[in-house]
Amino acid sequence: MKQGSSFARGLAIAAVALAAFVLADAAMHALSAQNPFGAPRRAAEPQVGGIIGWLLAKQGEFYREISSTIRAAKTDGYAVWTLLGVSFAYGIFHAAGPGHGKAVISSYLVANRETAWRGIALSFASALLQAVVAVVFVVIGAWLLNATAKTSCGAEKVIEIASYALIAAFGARLVWSKGGGFFRALQAHVPQPAIAGVPLRRHDHGHHHRDHHHDDSHDHHHDHGHGVGHQHAHAHAHAHAHVHDEHCGHSHGPEPSELAGPGGWRRGLSAIVTVGIRPCSGAILVLGFSLAQGLFWAGIAATFVMGIGTAITVATIAILAVSARGLAQRVSAGRDGSGMLFMRGIEFGAAGLVLLFGLGLLFGYLATEPPTCAYFM
Amino acid sequence: MFGTAAAQAHPHVWITARSEVIYAPDGTITGVRHAWTFDDMFSTYALQGIEAKIKGAYTREELAPLAQTNVESLNEYAYFTFAKADGRKQKFTEPIDYFLEYNNTELTLHFTLPAKTPFKTRQLSLEVFDPAFFIDFKYADKDPVKLVGAPADCKLQFQRPNDGTASAQQLGEQNFLNGDSSNFGAMFANKIVVECP
Repeated sequence: MKQGSSFARGLAIAAVALAAFVLADAAMHALSAQNPFGAPRRAAEPQVGGIIGWLLAKQGEFYREISSTIRAAKTDGYAVWTLLGVSFAYGIFHAAGPGHGKAVISSYLVANRETAWRGIALSFASALLQAVVAVVFVVIGAWLLNATAKTSCGAEKVIEIASYALIAAFGARLVWSKGGGFFRALQAHVPQPAIAGVPLRRHDHGHHHRDHHHDDSHDHHHDHGHGVGHQHAHAHAHAHAHVHDEHCGHSHGPEPSELAGPGGWRRGLSAIVTVGIRPCSGAILVLGFSLAQGLFWAGIAATFVMGIGTAITVATIAILAVSARGLAQRVSAGRDGSGMLFMRGIEFGAAGLVLLFGLGLLFGYLATEPPTCAYFM
Repeated sequence: MFGTAAAQAHPHVWITARSEVIYAPDGTITGVRHAWTFDDMFSTYALQGIEAKIKGAYTREELAPLAQTNVESLNEYAYFTFAKADGRKQKFTEPIDYFLEYNNTELTLHFTLPAKTPFKTRQLSLEVFDPAFFIDFKYADKDPVKLVGAPADCKLQFQRPNDGTASAQQLGEQNFLNGDSSNFGAMFANKIVVECP
C-alpha cells in the first residue's frame, strides 16, 4: 500500500457513503410494510418532525390546492396558471417521497457507469412516460369504459405489482451483467504472497455466484504492476467473454458498446419503462377530478407539469449518485487491482440493490406509496 | 437521518369524521358509529362509473355496492379505529348498518362497528387515524364525538392531533426514545377518552 492512500481511501469511503445514502434513502422511503401482492397493511413508518414535518405539510397543502384550483378554473381562467404552478411544486416535493424510481434510476446509473446527462435524460423520460400512462389510464378507464372506482383501483393494483416485478427483473439483469465484472475483478485481485514469479492457481473465488461458470479452458496470465504474477484459470460460458481484458486494471471505463449505440439506448429504454410504467396515484385522482369537472385538458396539463417537477427531483438525486460514483472512481483510479475491484464492487452492489428493491416490493417487505384507492376499494 | 428522511408520506384522502360511542342501557359499550365525509376529489374518484337516475343526485341504493366495497376494504386496516378499555385492546366485528350518502359533491360513509365483546370500562380510549398517514382524519368542528346512551356520570374528552410541527417532533423524539417507531401516524391521531367512574 502506498503512503497517503489512507486519505484517498477516506475520500472514496465518503463518496460511497454518499452514494449509499442516496440509494438507501430512496429505499428507506419504502420502508412501510406491505402485503404481498398489493394492498398495504399496517405501516411501520419512521417518525417525522421539524423540517421534514413541514415538507410533509407543504406537500399535502399543494395537493389539496390542486383540487381547489381545478374547481376555480371552471369560472376563472387564470386559476389554470395557479394550477400549473401548484402542480409543478407538488411534483418537486412529491418525488422526494416514495415511489418515483429514484432508487432504480440512481442504482442503474451507478451500476452501468452512466453519465449525469444520461441520468437527466432517463429521469425526464421516465417521468414523462409516467404522466402519459396516467393520462391513458384515465382516458381508457374513466372516459371510454366508464369503469367503476373498484375496477379502476383493481387495474392500478395490477400495474403496481407488474411494476415491482419489472424492477426485480431489471435488477436481475443488471446483477447478471455486473456480476461478471465484479467476480473477474475479485479473482484478479486475490491477495498474493509477494513471491515474484511463483504462479498461483486460484480458482476458488466467486464460485458461489450462480451464473458464473469457470470451465477452466485457458490460463490467463496477468501482471499487476507489482511484479507479482499469478495465474488463474477461467473461461466463461456466457457473453462476458468479450471483456476479458478488462480486469487487467487499466480499462476502467465502460465498453463503448455499453454506453452508446442502439444497444445502450435500448437498455436505457428498459430503465425508463421500469420506472415509468406505474402512474402516480395522485395524478390519477387529479385527472379523474378534472374530467368530472369538464376541464380534462387542465388536468392533463397539470399532470405533465407535475411530471416535470418530479423529473427535476429525480434527476438531482441521479446526478448526486453519478457524481459520488465519479469521485470514488477518481480516488480509486491509481490503485490498480484494488481500485478496480472497489469500483466493480460498487457497480455490483448497485445492481444488487435494484434486484433487492424489486423483490422487496414484490414480496411485501418494502412498500412505496400504495394506490390511494386501496383503502376503500 | 434516514429515519426522518424516510417518512414523507402525505395524505391523498381527507376525511372529516364524526363518531358516536354507543352504550347499552346497563352502561356496556356495544360499538362505535362513524360518519366519514371524503374530500371532493376522492369522492369524485369513488363515484366514477356509477349511474344516477337523476344526474348528480345519487341515492343510497345506487351507492350501496360502493358502500359495501368500502367497508370490506377497510377491514384490512381495522377500520382505522383503535379502542382500549382500561388499557386492554378491544376488537370490532364487521360493520353493520353501512351506507353512503351524497351531499354537496361529497360522499359520506356511515357505518357501525359492533364491539366483538361488548364491554364495561372505567376508561375508554378510542383513537381514529391512519398509521401510514395516507388518509388524514380530521374531526368535524361541530359535534365531533357523541356518547349515545352513556351513563350520566361519564365524561368525554376529545383531543385533536397537534398539527404544529414542534409538537410533532417532540412526539417523534419521545417515540424514538421509547424505541417505538411503528406508529408514524400516531401523532396525527384523534383521541377520544371516556371516563365513567
